[in-house]
Amino acid sequence: MIRKLRVIIFAGVALLAACVPLFAHHGGATYETDKSVIVKGTVTEFVWSNPHVFVKVDVKGDNGNVVHWIVEAQNPVSMMQIGWSKNTFKAGDEVEIDAMPAKNGNPVGFLGSSSPTAPRRRIVINGKQFQP
Amino acid sequence: MSKCSKLPLIALLAGMTIAPIVVSAQSAQPAAGGDQAKQRVWDSLEPIKPSYAGKKSGPAPRRDISGIWDAAEQDGGRQPSGALEHPALTAPRGQGVEGGRPDETGIMRPLHYTPLGLEALKANKPSGPSVRQVPAALANDPVDQCDPIGFPRMELFELRTIELVQTSTQVVYLNQFYGNFRVIWTDGRELPTDPELRWNGYSVGKWEDDYTFVVETVGLNPRSWLDHAGRPHSEDLRVEERFHRVDHDNMELTVTIYDPKMYTEPWQGLNKFPLHLQPPGFDISELLCSPIDYAEYNKQVGSAVLPATDKK
Repeated sequence: MIRKLRVIIFAGVALLAACVPLFAHHGGATYETDKSVIVKGTVTEFVWSNPHVFVKVDVKGDNGNVVHWIVEAQNPVSMMQIGWSKNTFKAGDEVEIDAMPAKNGNPVGFLGSSSPTAPRRRIVINGKQFQP
Repeated sequence: MSKCSKLPLIALLAGMTIAPIVVSAQSAQPAAGGDQAKQRVWDSLEPIKPSYAGKKSGPAPRRDISGIWDAAEQDGGRQPSGALEHPALTAPRGQGVEGGRPDETGIMRPLHYTPLGLEALKANKPSGPSVRQVPAALANDPVDQCDPIGFPRMELFELRTIELVQTSTQVVYLNQFYGNFRVIWTDGRELPTDPELRWNGYSVGKWEDDYTFVVETVGLNPRSWLDHAGRPHSEDLRVEERFHRVDHDNMELTVTIYDPKMYTEPWQGLNKFPLHLQPPGFDISELLCSPIDYAEYNKQVGSAVLPATDKK
């Protein structure tokens, strides 16, 4: 079962801009769209493919166990529109990613809409902020 | 579910304010925008709406719809919840995505089905966000397995960038999302009767006036869905498109569905949907569907987010 992570209620910007569709292919039925989970760990793989790009992150729990997380986004062309590329992540990167957690409690998260006017979820790669 | 501000004006203003801030914060690539789109030679970026809203344009050329036309940065180009004029939602703008319903009870602008149409609707299990959504790994959307999108779904789902090439006898229509092409004949031929069915149908077009090109399409394979919410169609479907060249840089697309076997009245999937002319050097990014990639995604991600009781 999944290691417990802090879950922060996502407010503020999400409420302000929440009157536009927040996701293209997933959303309400699969992810907690108004919650946050911070996925902090080491990238093991970055899959830059259709239908959705996804990054795999090994997260060390409090007791030293490793949880294998996946954070997915949209298709590569949509992600290019908002500044991603095949080089955005690579194995070994240390990351912190603010994602919507899966409703079933599994270690899977979602970054939401790739519309350029949707709010960006915070991503830090090797200490540098990639998105706000 | 997503909470929606009760003050839509604030939300709109916040969105319009956030947009340039978000765009300028991109560090990895040049930001999307009207001028930046010219700088990027390959994989051109679709300009975002604020960059062209309100810009004046020259007069429309006569009998000419050729060019590279972008739709995606309109709110509705991607249409994840179904055709823009009839999203399968119970509330406006992204709400009403709780999923799991077999039909469209309670949606904002419901379609009116025949008994056969309703039965066909219920058999389609969509993965996109709507009142009818099921988890991706349980969906039976043919496009999720890389079957052809077909027509008119290529306009009622993921209408992004298209290229229209006009010759003396054809308009050749190239569509970015999952790589579709269709030929619209303008040589005066009649539509076929009782044709072999095609995913993209048989199309003829003619000019109603110097600025309005009207296309009729028949012979459509009923295996394709009409939109991402799983609306069905029969072999008898007839689709009318109206391409109206408003001025030099702007065109409006209206798509009307005629299928009396499935729907008790015609309905519009798109109504004067705006398309914007791009510079001739705009390089359309490739967006193809790989069954191998899709299967891998479903294996690693799709099944991991299934509700525990629904795992196959």
